[in-house]
Amino acid sequence: MVKAIIAGSAGEKKLLLGNEAIARGALEAGISSATAYPGTPSTEIIEAIAEVARDYGIYVEWSTNEKVALEIGIGVSMMGLRALVAMKHVGLNVASDPLMSLGYTGVIGGLVVVSADDPNAHSSQNEQDNRIYGIHANIPVFEPSTVQEAKDLTRELFDLSEEFQMSVILRTTTRLAHSRSQVVFGEVVRPNREAVFHRDPEKWALLPPYNLAKHRDVLVKLDKLSEHLSSFRFNTVEKVDGDVAVVTSGVAYNYVKEALEELDLALSVFKLASVYPLPRKLALEALSYGKVIVVEELEPVLEWQLKVLAYEEGMKAEIHGKDLFPRVGELNKELVKAGLSRALGIRYEAPPAVMPSVELPRRPPVLCPGCGHRSTYYAVKIAAQRLRVKPVYANDIGCYTLGFYPPYQMADFTWSMGSSIGIGLGIARFSKEPVVAFIGDSTFFHAGIPALINAVYNRTPMLVIVMDNGITAMTGHQPHPGSGVGVFGEEKPAIRIEEVARAAGVKFVEVVDAYDIIAMRDAVERAIKYMREAGEPAVIVSRRPCALMVLREKRRRGESIKRYTVMKEKCINCGICVDRFACPAIVREGDGKVTIIPDLCTGCGVCATICPAKAIREVEVDE
Amino acid sequence: MSRRSVVIAGVGGQGLITIGSVLGEALMAKNYNVSVGEIHGLSQRGGSVAVFLKYGEGAVSPVVTQGEADLIVGLELIETVRRLPLLKRDGSVVVNDFLLPPPASKSIPTRGELLSNLSRVKSYVVDARELALKAGSEIAVNMVMLGAALATKILDLDIPDIENLLSKRFKGDVLRVNMEALRLGYQSIKE
Ligand code: SF4
Ligand code: SF4
Repeated sequence: MVKAIIAGSAGEKKLLLGNEAIARGALEAGISSATAYPGTPSTEIIEAIAEVARDYGIYVEWSTNEKVALEIGIGVSMMGLRALVAMKHVGLNVASDPLMSLGYTGVIGGLVVVSADDPNAHSSQNEQDNRIYGIHANIPVFEPSTVQEAKDLTRELFDLSEEFQMSVILRTTTRLAHSRSQVVFGEVVRPNREAVFHRDPEKWALLPPYNLAKHRDVLVKLDKLSEHLSSFRFNTVEKVDGDVAVVTSGVAYNYVKEALEELDLALSVFKLASVYPLPRKLALEALSYGKVIVVEELEPVLEWQLKVLAYEEGMKAEIHGKDLFPRVGELNKELVKAGLSRALGIRYEAPPAVMPSVELPRRPPVLCPGCGHRSTYYAVKIAAQRLRVKPVYANDIGCYTLGFYPPYQMADFTWSMGSSIGIGLGIARFSKEPVVAFIGDSTFFHAGIPALINAVYNRTPMLVIVMDNGITAMTGHQPHPGSGVGVFGEEKPAIRIEEVARAAGVKFVEVVDAYDIIAMRDAVERAIKYMREAGEPAVIVSRRPCALMVLREKRRRGESIKRYTVMKEKCINCGICVDRFACPAIVREGDGKVTIIPDLCTGCGVCATICPAKAIREVEVDE
Repeated sequence: MSRRSVVIAGVGGQGLITIGSVLGEALMAKNYNVSVGEIHGLSQRGGSVAVFLKYGEGAVSPVVTQGEADLIVGLELIETVRRLPLLKRDGSVVVNDFLLPPPASKSIPTRGELLSNLSRVKSYVVDARELALKAGSEIAVNMVMLGAALATKILDLDIPDIENLLSKRFKGDVLRVNMEALRLGYQSIKE
């Protein structure tokens, strides 16, 4: 057995991912529970904790969605125990309802909510800056700058959370969550507190007589915290002579350090780990400089607060920030160098670069070879052609969102978890063309079910195709209520999507093998006819385990993988397999002839069934 | 103490992250300050991926910017050329001689065009698939490239540093194949 990545004794040094460092920090803080819904860039936190959870008696789960994950954390805190809840930035929107009240009630056991933000929207629908959530919810926000700090800060935030009886948001960004650096371990504390329900109805009830008092209380607490944070060891000042101060937080601190080094500049640097509330004394100190340059990613959260404080205190510092640095996308050393140079009136030249002299094709991510989503899309397209309809394709969040790209282009919109059905309902009310909503299995459980119930209740005709590959594939194969396994791979009851749909009152429910294009095509034709006649929703579950997962399993077990090949003499070069079906394993060679790259083919055999010339067949391979 | 930046470029699923973390761990064992930046998520589905590795004294952020890389390790030709602007003028490239056209794209540069782009800088071309198969499995392509990267001598690492690590990570057949792939990759540049 390979040892769990976050296991190890104090003093040990390991190369950890930012997310793993957070997991280790939570372990050192003695958490009793860790809950989450997977989402890039937050996923590895729970994965790392799961590896050690049993040894340390930590409850860990993949929850149905972020709201549920947070609610569990709140419950655990009420028992006087420590809880970690993790999610990606947009996940906090789902959990925002309980979050906003959590700011009022506060906590008993330490509660840290990790929000992994995604500047640059590498794998997200937006770039929202969740530091603002903290301000909105009256919940303190902290941000580590390095991987080591991610661990240490996480550990200490549990103490702070208990000391002030407030939950805290630990905000990270993709660049920290997914960067690896050396981390020195501290002592691990085993969760050995007695679990006692802290009965205190006045504290926990968000009812009229108490709400305003709670709102007042939390504002007082935040002021106290702001004083306390000026001596918080993660807020640091590196002072040098001169009248310019740089204020920064999070991963931007590293860019500032590199930039100063390369520009050969010495400026005082205020690194704030607590971005809300600001450490008052430190902030005033920074404002005592003549020029203050705020370097932060995305929204001007520090800048706004500093400007307000400067105005209130009548301080005259010249404050720069988003006038020098972009508000969109990630920062990097070059952007920081350029911004600092402008602020100081230094000439700046970007380093020379070798530019490609050929035009390079874009390479958007694609559905894997052998993916059941591809054959589902293909079959739906054929069905629509045969019925002579032009459906509105409603799409959702998951691997299948990639159906947006050519040649499929079967995502007329894609919004947020569960919205394919929800927004689809609004369109279906008025559209003459049928609405076909695609939604994955995990997303269906996360947020699809209420919208589906709405479709039944309000009799909205709409075809919902649940693309069920048995797992949360997009984020790296975490199980969900339909998977039949839990976070450790242990057996669990599997909730069947078709049974949920029937129980919700959907009368047309069919289950099809995603590889069977003819069966899928026919089911879609029946479903569209049904919803037109009956004026009610229809559900098709298109089922095939995720190809990537099947392939990995086979490799692990040492099983051979079937492969397919194009018989050149039979191929009529119609291009159906390569241009229309577009399995990435099928490419055109230099001479324009179609060929299959053996290393990429997973042997699903679907291309053989759609080839009109019967030119594709299985080949024997032994490995 | 030297200070270096490396970019590992390729397509999701090619094992780039493994190369990054193996190099990172080996450098950490030598007491360097190491930072490896990765982009996960969507990129696992055949998208364009880059892993950034920096080490040395002082601050090392997880991003390599224009003209900063001492070495690009490329696992696919198009993706390697795409990252050329990150290379220092006198930096080096080791590249796998493998062209994977993105599905459904219209204009694809030829292998010749891509290679001639790379010939503008110091570059080494490796047939990693052939060497990986020789070692015992096509999956070991990334280990071949790792071996080739070491042979450039740009990094403060040598074969034994990596062997140590691999023998902690793997066992039996997998270990043997990986070691062999590493060695073959190394030799391909040495000659
Ligand atoms: S990971 Fe699985 S579900 Fe996602 S595209 Fe690949 S095969 Fe399809
Ligand atoms: S059998 Fe055909 S469709 Fe399936 S993975 Fe191989 S080439 Fe692609």
